[in-house]
Amino acid sequence: MARSKLLSSRRSKPNKRVRITKPRGRPRRPSIAPQVEPGAPSDFELMKGIQAGDPDALSQLYDRYNGILKALILRVIHNEAEADDLLQEIFMEIWNQAKNFSAQKGKPLGWMVTLARRRAIDGLRKKQAYARAEERLQNETEQQPDAWVHNATEEEIVLSDTRTLIRKVINGLPPAQQQAIELAFFKGMSQREIAAKTNTPLGTVKTRLELGLKKIYDGLKDLRDEL
Amino acid sequence: MNFEQFQNQSRLYVIGALEPEEVEEFEKARKKFGKKAEDFITKCYDLHEAFALSLRPAKSSAAIKDRLMAMVKAKKES
Repeated sequence: MARSKLLSSRRSKPNKRVRITKPRGRPRRPSIAPQVEPGAPSDFELMKGIQAGDPDALSQLYDRYNGILKALILRVIHNEAEADDLLQEIFMEIWNQAKNFSAQKGKPLGWMVTLARRRAIDGLRKKQAYARAEERLQNETEQQPDAWVHNATEEEIVLSDTRTLIRKVINGLPPAQQQAIELAFFKGMSQREIAAKTNTPLGTVKTRLELGLKKIYDGLKDLRDEL
Repeated sequence: MNFEQFQNQSRLYVIGALEPEEVEEFEKARKKFGKKAEDFITKCYDLHEAFALSLRPAKSSAAIKDRLMAMVKAKKES
């Protein structure tokens, strides 16, 4: 995909403006996830609706998160049409697999992201486009050593509150740590693959991942405490 | 493996970045630390959510939702 097209897809605005508020109702572990408008059903309520076979609940969940999941898929496969197809498949899987979701094990968005990421990485590998994607990634890496850093400098774009806060945490990492995490999370690369790709010793890659993830994890914890 | 090392490994585990030879040792430690380990791993999945939320949402074709809802309706009726 051409760089301009990729950036263009990143410039899309969210379907629905979300804002950070203190969670209401019964106490849960504070979340970094965007909170919905007052009166709207929570993600947990929508998941219950889907589990009960209510298509309207899926429709609302789609409206709320299709933009985020599409962005995630695009980051992995870099193809607009394939990302749309995969997005549809993923929401169908959410509908079919909703019975396997358990609130005890985490939040709906985390579950959906895990599912979407796995499907996107599987899709990337299945269609044997890995080599081409690597080539594109290589070009992008040369042009913008870290995509998160690049995004943060696009001043013309209005970022949502949640994204701004999370990016602040991520942008605080050294570029090498960001790049290692980017390759592991969005490309599904192993430590060895990252080491080969970046021409870095395996031990250094491991250290970068460990330090970077710990800083992000701690940063998110601080964010939750502030909220 | 002490718990701090387990925590470091957990964060790699949830993003699928543990090497095969590390997984066995990780699973042993996971059993050893029991519920404390499971609770920590659950928290680590917040990283997934955070990485997704760090991206600018992308616009999808309206036809995608129409097709999705038609498929759901058809499945429900079958």
